[in-house]
Amino acid sequence: MCKLFSKYILIRGVFIAMPSHPSFVEKYLPYILIAPALGYMLFFIGYPLIQAIYLAFTKNGALSLENLDYLLHSPFSKFYEALTNTFLLVIVIIPIQVAIALGLAMLFNIKFKGRNVALYSIILPLTISDVAAGLIWYTMLSTNGFFNKLFINLGITSEPIYFFGYQFRQMEFLAIVITEIWRATAIVFVIVFAGLQMISQEHIEAAEVFGANVWQRLRYIVFPMLLPSLQAALIIRTLFAFQIFGVVWTLAGRDIPILAGEAYYEQVELKHQGVAAIYALVIAGISVAIGYLYIKLFKAKYLEAGT
Amino acid sequence: MSYYSALTKTAAIIIALIVIIAAAGIGYYIITQQAQPTKIIWVSTQLVPPEEQAFVKDQLLAEFTKETGIQVEFVGSSYEDLATRLESEEGAGKVTISLIGELHGGLDYFASKGWLEDLGKFGALSGRTFPKVLEDYSKLHGIKAYIPWMTATYVMVINKKAFNYLPDDLTQDDIMQGTSKWTYDAFLAWAKRLYEETGGPKVGFPAGPKGLFVRFLHGYLYPAFTGAQVKNFDSQDAVTMWEWLKELWQYVHPSSTTWDAMADPLLKEEVWIAWDHTARIKDAIATKPDDFIVVPVPAGPKGRGFILVIAGLAVPKGAPNEDAAWKLIEYLTRPGTQVKVLQNVGFFPSVNEATGAVPEGPLKILASGVNKQLGTTDALVALIPSLGAKGGDFKNVYITAFQRIVQNGEDIQAVISELKPQLMGLFEETGAPLPPPDV
Repeated sequence: MCKLFSKYILIRGVFIAMPSHPSFVEKYLPYILIAPALGYMLFFIGYPLIQAIYLAFTKNGALSLENLDYLLHSPFSKFYEALTNTFLLVIVIIPIQVAIALGLAMLFNIKFKGRNVALYSIILPLTISDVAAGLIWYTMLSTNGFFNKLFINLGITSEPIYFFGYQFRQMEFLAIVITEIWRATAIVFVIVFAGLQMISQEHIEAAEVFGANVWQRLRYIVFPMLLPSLQAALIIRTLFAFQIFGVVWTLAGRDIPILAGEAYYEQVELKHQGVAAIYALVIAGISVAIGYLYIKLFKAKYLEAGT
Repeated sequence: MSYYSALTKTAAIIIALIVIIAAAGIGYYIITQQAQPTKIIWVSTQLVPPEEQAFVKDQLLAEFTKETGIQVEFVGSSYEDLATRLESEEGAGKVTISLIGELHGGLDYFASKGWLEDLGKFGALSGRTFPKVLEDYSKLHGIKAYIPWMTATYVMVINKKAFNYLPDDLTQDDIMQGTSKWTYDAFLAWAKRLYEETGGPKVGFPAGPKGLFVRFLHGYLYPAFTGAQVKNFDSQDAVTMWEWLKELWQYVHPSSTTWDAMADPLLKEEVWIAWDHTARIKDAIATKPDDFIVVPVPAGPKGRGFILVIAGLAVPKGAPNEDAAWKLIEYLTRPGTQVKVLQNVGFFPSVNEATGAVPEGPLKILASGVNKQLGTTDALVALIPSLGAKGGDFKNVYITAFQRIVQNGEDIQAVISELKPQLMGLFEETGAPLPPPDV
């Protein structure tokens, strides 16, 4: 009963309970509403997370750092290479994707004939799975593939360009970047484009009245108002980029080791569950850190923009 | 009628009903018990993927049950699960498994533990002959431990165009028959000539992350150059072998490190010569049977090393319905059944009569190539060691050696000396015996 009342007032020697405000239901409703989601998270994310930590740091039931030692010091571990390559891929791919997506979104904001058709064809790669996208580009870039045949027939090259193989890791890297840009720029584009359409024309027209030029309108109106969408797009894209697997696996195998690929290899081929669990934890750790960073970085500006 | 007589009557009726029901129940139980067909449990680590299991249950076993009335419950299992189950059943003296389908390595272990019945007591199976190598391997620890069931191996596939670029003093017939001239040095000369005269590498290996190139290293090159898979890992012969591979690698298609199976590169003509598991090149031959030929692998200084995967059928000691299990073994080793297995799941027969029974077509090309390799006079059969969960680490030692020596150009002796203890450690840790031809 007490929980229902938050205040007791002394009136003429008698305690009178005042109904609390907000009421019981109002107070706990949010918790009740998020309970199913929270339960789901606990069961499907919390529990596996604890399992992963257990797998990573125990051996035969006892606490052990053997897996960590293997990860960091074994001649068979490719952890540092994988970490470097994953960061390199993210650093190269994300800025290009954001730039292209922004440019395309601006372009599509202008109404022109055939806009819808063009829009759909840009979004199309989004519907293709990463492994399928990898296979498509692998076939096109292989020595007997479409591009090499095209280049040779046009007389651009006389010998096929090798895109794949350990000796050509730079080219493999390039192939991965091309495929990822082709495949996943659309998700950034869709979010940014939606954000762009949300911006009221009134703001821009007002700026025009005050004599702002195109650059100023972009810099002081469009860009700040676009930041929330950009934040969402960046979080989604960057987190997925750290989990990159299918495309690299099909295009470069283990020539270019990456975190998720090594996790898979350790688990499936080598049966090192603990080591695979550490890889998973590292990816999770990076994802949480990046998510936090983005939210921190973008939030202040978002509030400044006053929307 | 008095109250009591009515009660007695009712009681009599009730008792009569109980007796009738009980009698009917007992009768039904006896009848069903007699009519209940024999049911045996067959645990297999082979043919476990869903589509293969479907073939076993819907076709193979359905026919067997129709013929003999024996029902078989096929249980697909991992090696670890089978070993654990067998150990506990044998330990408790309460065996439920009647038949085991496993690879040679696992059966070797079971036999060493005394868990397997000596199949010699059932006599010989008429109308079929097993190749000598299979007969020899199936006798383990003083008993006839298993009946060879299926085999698989890795072979070379050649696009017939490549024969136009043969090096001097090597003929097409040498290669097809696997004569003493078909050596790794001759192969290197051929690869070099192909590279120089066609303007690009024409040899390929499945050296991708899921490819089986590692089997070529430990089961083909190592036995051929050093006479053993494991024990001569860091020998002088091994240094010669790695030098040979480094030289060959200049003429190997660089994309090899991204290929998991060779059927596609062969069909796209990215390469003309490829080595791979029979199951992974079957598609190429099935699609263009006129373009390709399957040949034995080359020989090295110590012989023609190649891996033979042998799956065998064994009966656990104290198994229920032994005779039914033996009937199933008889059925599974019939040439007709073996051809069906080859056609549906790509495992090769273990009896000579079956190879002859394979109908003309792509499978015949494969089967005859496999048979020629088995029959070469300098054959040096290597078996995959049974390291259980450590099998991945075993492969990783050879892959790492390859990456460091051939791809990164590190010092050969230094790398193999560094890795040898890791390799031997795996055998010490698991207690597994060194695989043939090491012992």
